[in-house]
Amino acid sequence: MLVQFYNVSKIYSNGVKALDDVSLKIERGEFLFLMGPSGAGKSTLIKLFFREEAPTRGQIFIASRSIVRMKRSEVPRLRRNIGIVFQDFKLLENKTASENIAFAMEVVGANPKEIRQRVAEVIEMVGLKGREKSFPGELSGGEQQRIGIARALANRPLLLIADEPTGNLDIDTSREIMELLFDINRKGTTVIMATHARELVKAARKRVILLDKGRVVADNPNGESIV
Amino acid sequence: MILRNVMYFWREAWKSLRRNKVLTIASVSTVSICILILGMAVLMTVNAGSVMKKLESDVEMVAFLEHALTRSQISQIEEKISQLDGVKSVKFVSRDTALARLGKSYGNKEYDLKSTLGKNPLPHSFEVKARNPHDVPRIASKVDKIDGVYKVNYGQGVVERLFAVTKWVRAISLAFIVLLSLGAVFLIATTIRLAIYARRKEIYLMKLIGATDWFIRWPFFIEGILLGTLGALLSILLLAGAYSSLISNMGSVYFIPLVTGGPILGRLYIALLAAGTVLGVAGTSISLNRFLDV
Repeated sequence: MLVQFYNVSKIYSNGVKALDDVSLKIERGEFLFLMGPSGAGKSTLIKLFFREEAPTRGQIFIASRSIVRMKRSEVPRLRRNIGIVFQDFKLLENKTASENIAFAMEVVGANPKEIRQRVAEVIEMVGLKGREKSFPGELSGGEQQRIGIARALANRPLLLIADEPTGNLDIDTSREIMELLFDINRKGTTVIMATHARELVKAARKRVILLDKGRVVADNPNGESIV
Repeated sequence: MILRNVMYFWREAWKSLRRNKVLTIASVSTVSICILILGMAVLMTVNAGSVMKKLESDVEMVAFLEHALTRSQISQIEEKISQLDGVKSVKFVSRDTALARLGKSYGNKEYDLKSTLGKNPLPHSFEVKARNPHDVPRIASKVDKIDGVYKVNYGQGVVERLFAVTKWVRAISLAFIVLLSLGAVFLIATTIRLAIYARRKEIYLMKLIGATDWFIRWPFFIEGILLGTLGALLSILLLAGAYSSLISNMGSVYFIPLVTGGPILGRLYIALLAAGTVLGVAGTSISLNRFLDV
């Protein structure tokens, strides 16, 4: 079991109840969609995984380790095992494609030789060979998201979390990105993807968790009844 | 591992300084102006201090002796005065010397004061200096009580006022320097906050990727040190140039004795350089923590 949530609630300091008694389990190697209307609690749930937020109540285990009572100094290690892909890519504009990827490894203190090798590997994996020296501004949205994914993979995470990764992309590009994520999942990485794109979820036939008003209202192994 | 990180920190700091030229120039100028003003304030204080010290060290008392004392009585009095607490020196001035000085102060060698007066009306006296000029009034009252001392004179009234003035001048300059330093820290912190704000996305990203707080902090601290030191160096060059031309142009004209001592100025410049560096680091650490809380 990679992830376990037990009766997790999150109430923000302004009184907003973002999550209400959420329990869920995610196996190693799973591919999971997280759906629900805006304000349902998807973003909050995602932030709990890498402890950008801590739960108000409940218990969370990742790789059998509680991350609720985690010291501030232990958080970086947790995050090194989780790759995050953002809707708006969050690439550094003044760094090239390969520098953006290398950045993720530099900040965790990898050695230069290791970085060179791994950057070449993940660039190949996401299909951007030949664009290493391009700056984000010179690349299409789909290509930029591929860099985002490559960066998330650079440190060989156990878990890849993608928060609306296709939200800013057209439908054809979105399908390509989905294929890439499936491919990564087939190679063994657990993937959690929050999305609004019903088309993509429908075609995928993967597990779907539906959130509404902070509660899990459905958890379906192949998404049929939900979409 | 450690060395690689250190190299990485310096590289990142240097890149960031070059990339954000406008902010770099703004920060360096801010530090520079702050240190310049601070330096001028300190120089003024140092100079005012040396003037004060000189004025104060001129304060001494003269103890006039009664007439008709024997040699041994006089030396007994001298003994008693020099044994008083806080007395630095006692100098005997005979009545002849006193008369000669008086004559000199009229400035006419032809004019013989003694033959005009017929006899010397002046008494023997002691010129007494205190180790601390502020003790003069206290010592004077003790000297006054010694047998054979006719009168003690130290500029009563004037001296007390002088001490009041010097006390205030010192307090005001100190307050001025403290306020300026606080203002400098605030100004520099604000400027550096702008620089950090421009890179908040990068910091957020680093945090989410799993960088430790210190890994993120170091390049900013190095940046702060470089900014602070560079700014301080600039202002010290300006200050040293301006001050040395002030000394060479005005030093001989005015009666105010400007401080020209190499060691004092050297120490001041080193202190200002250190202040610049500290201001850079302090400004950075004040501004940075808010952005690290992710």
